[in-house]
Amino acid sequence: MNIVFLLLAFCGLVAMTVVNPDAVFPTMIKGASEAIALAFKLLAIYSVWLSVLNMLEKTSLDKKLSKMLSPLTKRLFKGESETAQKFISINMASNMLGMGGAATPAGIKAMKEMDDLSGKATDNMKLLLVLSATSLQIIPATVIALRGDGGSANPSDILLPTLIATSVSTLCGVILCKTFAKIKSRKKEK
Amino acid sequence: MISYVLPTLVGLIILYSAIKRVKIYDCFIDGATASIQLVRSVFPYIAAIFIAITLFKESGLSQKLTALLATPLSYVGIPSELCELIMLTPLSGSGSLALLEDIISTYGADSYIARCACVISGASETVFYISAVYLSECKSKKLSYAIPVALFATFCGTVVACLICRFI
Repeated sequence: MNIVFLLLAFCGLVAMTVVNPDAVFPTMIKGASEAIALAFKLLAIYSVWLSVLNMLEKTSLDKKLSKMLSPLTKRLFKGESETAQKFISINMASNMLGMGGAATPAGIKAMKEMDDLSGKATDNMKLLLVLSATSLQIIPATVIALRGDGGSANPSDILLPTLIATSVSTLCGVILCKTFAKIKSRKKEK
Repeated sequence: MISYVLPTLVGLIILYSAIKRVKIYDCFIDGATASIQLVRSVFPYIAAIFIAITLFKESGLSQKLTALLATPLSYVGIPSELCELIMLTPLSGSGSLALLEDIISTYGADSYIARCACVISGASETVFYISAVYLSECKSKKLSYAIPVALFATFCGTVVACLICRFI
C-alpha cells in the first residue's frame, strides 16, 4: 500500500501543482472531508450490520454457516484456526449476497485472526484480500437498480454476464495467489 | 424480486434469534458500540487513501492516463468509452457509480456500452479501498503481490465482460 499511496499522492501532487497550485491543499482537504463523510456513513452501516452479525454469533448460526462453507474455506485457507474460518465464511457469504456492510467487518476480523505479526501479510491474508477485491457478488443489486432507473427493458439481464465475469476474475485471482504462494515456499525450501 | 432477498434474510435471523431467546435489543446496542470502535480504527486508512485519490483524480492525471491507455485497451476489445470507468473502479466506489449512471444516461440503458459498463461495475470492487481497510487492524501490512494480482484478475474479468456482452 505504501508504494500505491506514494505513486497516487506524489504524481497527483505534482500534476496538481503544475495545473493549479492554489488548489493543491483544498483538494487534499476535500479528500479528507469525503473520508469523514464516508466514515459517518460507515458508522451507520456498521451499526446495523454488526448488530446482525451479533445475532448470528449469539444464535451460533455463524458456526453453521462456517460448517456449510468449510469444504471450500478449509481447502482455500489451509491451517487457519476455527475462528478465522468462521469470519472468512461470514465475509465470503456476505460478499456473495452483496452485504458489503457485513462483509467488511468480518473481513477485518478474519485478517486480524490470521495476522502472524511478522510485518508481512501471510499468503492466506493475501488470498482473502484478493478474493474480496475481485468481488464474489452474485446479485449486483445496486447496478441493476441503476439500470432500471435508466429505463432498461430488462435490467436484470446482466446477471449472467456479471456472474461469468466475476467468476473469471475471482478464479484468476485465486490461481495466481496460490501459484505465487507455492513459488515462495519453494524458494524457502532451497 | 431481488429487493426482497436481504430484508427477508435479516427478518428470519431476527425471528430465529427470538426463538433461541437471544436478547436482540442488546445485540443492537453491542453492534452500535462495536461500530464506533471499528470506524475509529478504519478512519485513518480511509482518510489517507481519499486524500491521495482525490489529488489523483482532480489533477486531471486520471483522465490523462485514461487517454493514454485507450489504444492499448482497445486491442483487447475494451471500448474507449469505458476506459475511464475501468480506471476509476479500483480507486473509488462512489466515483465509479456516478460515472456508471452517467454512461447509462448518455448511451441508453440497453446499449452495448451501458450493458458492458454495468457488468464491469457489478463484477469488480474498489481494490485499493479494500486493501487499506481490511488490514486496518493488522500489524502485518506488507502485501507484496496481492494488489497487482487483484488488479490483474479484475482486468481479466473486464476483458471477459466486454467479450460476452457482445453475445449475451
